[in-house]
Amino acid sequence: MNPAINPTTEVAHPQLWVICAAYNKAAMIGRVVSELRRAGYRTIVVDDGSADATGPIAAAAGAHVVTHPLNLGQGAALQTGMDYALSRGAEVLVTFDADGQHRVADIRRLVEALARERADFALGSRFLGEAQDLPPLRRLILRAATVFTRLTTGLRLTDSHNGLRALTRQGAAAIRLRQNRMAHASEILAEIARSRLPYVEVPVSIEYTAYSLAKGQRLSDSVLILLDLLAQGLTR
Amino acid sequence: MIAQIFFSALLGIVFLYAWKEHRRSPAVAALSLITALAGLYFVWVPSQTTRLAEFVGIGRGVDLILYTWVAISLIVILNLHLKLRTQLEMITVLARAIALAGARGPQADAVGDPSTPSLPTAQWSKEVAAGSRVSGRPRA
Repeated sequence: MNPAINPTTEVAHPQLWVICAAYNKAAMIGRVVSELRRAGYRTIVVDDGSADATGPIAAAAGAHVVTHPLNLGQGAALQTGMDYALSRGAEVLVTFDADGQHRVADIRRLVEALARERADFALGSRFLGEAQDLPPLRRLILRAATVFTRLTTGLRLTDSHNGLRALTRQGAAAIRLRQNRMAHASEILAEIARSRLPYVEVPVSIEYTAYSLAKGQRLSDSVLILLDLLAQGLTR
Repeated sequence: MIAQIFFSALLGIVFLYAWKEHRRSPAVAALSLITALAGLYFVWVPSQTTRLAEFVGIGRGVDLILYTWVAISLIVILNLHLKLRTQLEMITVLARAIALAGARGPQADAVGDPSTPSLPTAQWSKEVAAGSRVSGRPRA
């Protein structure tokens, strides 16, 4: 256990679990987990078949670690994390990027929004909050994604691809991700629309670093996402 | 006549294939059925191919057959892709069951946390065993 973590702070959030999907994130995962633990959050790291020491580093930092035997993708890892958290009695689940681009302080805002708005999903929006150093091309892609989301799901969102979300137990149980890889972000929104459960957008901040930008999605990925969603629509 | 019987038998197999695929992918089944019907039509009324080709602006009946063949190939590739997706979903369920069975919590949680339930691995094992139900959505 990391000596910097005070285990008694967990009592403040006994049924809140933060889920990080991580693939080859040894460089960042220790810092991310330590920050979450210092804030008192139970943390699950789903090591998605990493070739580096992501899992052991996360465990040493105080996270619950679930290790995929092979790399399946971020969508599959999030679903695994949600299954694990639900099996442990989670009442609120938060998905949090392992890149270190999200702020731990925003978790509280999401959870408070769930309670205040009586919603089952609180979705982070960088366009309601601060998006530091957001490259213009990425801004354009994200804007196009919101239009796509509105057309395909009817959800009126300002940021449709933000990895920072909070879900109630009921909300998480209503979602089943079948898109293992990049298209999972769109699939989550489609599942939210299908569930007809209430949702709310919450301003959050994203810190773009050289590391997160290198790991982030590109314009060409958008085409692959559309193909993935189309292919899923052809099967039952 | 020999060629017509031979190709009719082949297209009959396509018919059966489309019927078999109907439950998994209605879109692929519909495309296969349309293709097989068009093929039967051309086999038994070959004089119509050139007329139809001219009607759709292709020119020769042979070219129409060629283009149709390309379309059939694309449908087959699409179907293979969909089958691979289904298999990947089954692998995902299996890998998830393995991962959850081997999950480990931090030392601080293991001590003094008697409420921690055991993992319901049986649920995921059932999903794996169900196989064909992998793509289903276990919602209430």
